[in-house]
Amino acid sequence: MTFPGSALGAEGELLAAQVERFERVHPGVRVELRRTPDAADQRHQLYVQWLAARVPDPDVLQLDVVWTAEFAAAGWIRPLELPAAARDDFFPAPLAAARWRERLYALPWFVDVGVLYWRTDLLEAPPQSFAALERQAQAALARGDVELGWIFQGARYEGLVTVFLELLAARGGAILDAEGRVVVDREPAVAALAALRDAIQVSGVAPREVLTWQEEPVRLAFQNGRALFMRNWPYAHALLRDPERSKVAGRFAVAPLPAAALGGQLLAVNAASDVPEAARLLVAFLTAPEQLRERAARLGQLPPRRSLYDDPELAEALAIPVEDALASIERAVPRPVTPLWTELSSTLQVHLHRALSGQREPREALTAAADELRRRLARAGLGADA
Amino acid sequence: MSPGARSEGRLAALLGLPVALCVLAVAVLPMLWTVWESLHRHDLRLPWLGRPRVGLANYAEALAEARFWDALAHTLFFVLASVGLEMVLGLLLALLLHRAFRGRAALRTLALLPWAIPTVVAALVWRFLFEGAPAPGGVPWLADATLAWVPVVLADVWKTTPFVALLLLAGLQSMDEALLEAARVDGATAWRSFLHVTLPLLRPALLVALVFRTLDAFRVFDLVVVLTGGGPGTATEPLALYTFGALLQELRFGYGAALSVIAFGVGFALALAYVRLVGRR
Repeated sequence: MTFPGSALGAEGELLAAQVERFERVHPGVRVELRRTPDAADQRHQLYVQWLAARVPDPDVLQLDVVWTAEFAAAGWIRPLELPAAARDDFFPAPLAAARWRERLYALPWFVDVGVLYWRTDLLEAPPQSFAALERQAQAALARGDVELGWIFQGARYEGLVTVFLELLAARGGAILDAEGRVVVDREPAVAALAALRDAIQVSGVAPREVLTWQEEPVRLAFQNGRALFMRNWPYAHALLRDPERSKVAGRFAVAPLPAAALGGQLLAVNAASDVPEAARLLVAFLTAPEQLRERAARLGQLPPRRSLYDDPELAEALAIPVEDALASIERAVPRPVTPLWTELSSTLQVHLHRALSGQREPREALTAAADELRRRLARAGLGADA
Repeated sequence: MSPGARSEGRLAALLGLPVALCVLAVAVLPMLWTVWESLHRHDLRLPWLGRPRVGLANYAEALAEARFWDALAHTLFFVLASVGLEMVLGLLLALLLHRAFRGRAALRTLALLPWAIPTVVAALVWRFLFEGAPAPGGVPWLADATLAWVPVVLADVWKTTPFVALLLLAGLQSMDEALLEAARVDGATAWRSFLHVTLPLLRPALLVALVFRTLDAFRVFDLVVVLTGGGPGTATEPLALYTFGALLQELRFGYGAALSVIAFGVGFALALAYVRLVGRR
C-alpha cells in the first residue's frame, strides 16, 4: 500500500513513526510513504493525472479541503463510513468539506484557520473589526512605529481567495450561495474588494508588495519586525516564537479573525485501489484521537476532533488559546463545495488581482468574474443560474 | 537515369529512412495528435462529460476570449521590445569586442556569462533584485501592470544580448578587412564606412540572429513564470503561459491543444516570413 503524505521535516518523521505503529497493529500490511510536491497546485495536478488514468496507487490520498467535491464527483475516491460517535466528535465544518452530495468521502486530518498576528509591543489590544484594524495601522504608520501596517497573502493564487473570502464573509457575503448560484458580484463582495483595494492603493495601510507575496514572504516580513498586523495560518506561530531567528519573539500575539477561512487536509481512499480495506484502516488509524493528539502536540496543528480540546496538554502546543481556536473553527468559513472549485478559484484570482493592482474597478472586476464563473459552471453542466 | 544512379538513389532513401521515421515519431505524430485533441472537448477533471467531438468549438472559444488576445499581444510586445533592444546592444557589444585590445579574449568569455546561466536561475536573481526591501527606486515593480514589464524585458535583454553579440562577432570576423581599408583610402568617415560597408556585409549574420531571437522570444515562458507569474492580474501573461495554465493547471486538454495549435501556426508563419526574407538577399 502506498501513501504520499507530507513527508518533510518534523511532519515527515512523525508520520513515519505513526505508520510504523500502524504496521505493528496490522501485521501483513506494508505502507510505503511517497514524496509528493508540497505546493498545493502541483500536488493537485499530479493527483488528477494519476486518478484520471485510474492507477491503483497511491492507495491513500492527502486532500486539500477544497478538492473533495472534484474527486468525488469524478468517481476517483471511495465513499467512507463513519461510526455515529466519531461523527459527533469531528467539527461540522471540516466534516462538511469531506462530503459530496450527502456522502462522506474523506476524513479530516487537521484543520487550518486564518488568524491575525499582532504586535503586543506596539498595541494594547487587537482590533475587533476591519475598520479598527485600518485605524490602528494608520495611526502606527503615522507615528512611525512600524514600516508596514497590515500584510497578507495578496499574490495571484489560492491564498488571495481565502483572504478575500474572510473579508467577504465578515460582511455577510459569499462567492456561491447555498443553491450553488454565483453571487460574487453582489454588494458585500464589491464593498469587500473595494476595502481591500483601498487599503493597498489609497490609504497604504497595506504595502503594494503584498500583491506578489504568498505565506512565506509575509511571514518573513512580520518576523523581521516590519509589520504591525499579519494575516496568516497558525503554522507561523512556532517560527515567530523562536528567538534565535525571529525579531518579534515575545512581542506578538494571535487573535481570531471576525471570519476565518477554513483550510486543512483530509485523508481519502483511491477508488482504484487494490487494497481498499487496508487503505480504509490506515485512514481510520491516522485520524484516530491518539494520532491526532500527537500531531497537535508535536506540530501545533489544530486537530479536527472536539474531544481533544479538553486536554490541558493541547493548550501548550497550540498557536492560539484553546477557546480562540475553538471559536475560530466553529465559525470558520468554508470555500464553496463544487467539483469546479480549482478552476473557479483561478478565474477569481485573476479578476481579484486586477482590481487590487488598480487595473480594474472592483465592481467591474467582480461583474466580469461572476460572468466567467457562470459560464464555466454552465459548460461543466453544473450551472445553477437559470 | 542509369541503373547505377537509380540504385544509389534507392540506397540514399534507405539510409535516410531512420531519420525520416524519427522525425515522424517525435515531431509529426505529436503535432497531428494535438490537432486531433483540439477538435474534442476533453477535460480531465470532468470525466462525466466524456470526450465528445466538438469541431472547431475550442478555436471559437479561444478567439472569443479576451485573455487569449491579451496573451498574444503581450507575446508580440515582448518580442518587439526585447529583440529590438538585444539587436542594438548586441551589435554595439560585438563592435566593441571586435576591436583589438589587451584582455579581449578574457572579456569575450566574461560577456557570455549571462547567457550561460539557466533562465530560471537568472529570473530568480532578477526577481530578488526587483522585490528587495526596499525595492529599487522605492517602486513595487512587480505589483504594477505597466512597470512589471521592465524587469521582464530587462532580464531577457541582459541574458540574451551576449548571444546576439556572439553571432554578430562571427560575422564581423569573417568580413574582408580590405573593403574597410579601401573605404578609408577613399576618405570615408568611420560612420559612413560602418553604414555603407560593415552593415550591409553583416546583413546575413543580423538576419540569423533576428530569426533565432524572434522565434525564441515568441515562446517565452520560464522567465515570466518566475518573475511575475504573468501578473499582476494577467498583465504580463504571454501565450505560452496562458496555454500552460489551460493545459496543465485547469487540465482542459482540448482547449489547451487548440491554443497550442494556434501558437504553432503563428510561430510557423513568423518562421516562413523570415525564411523568405533571408532567401531574398
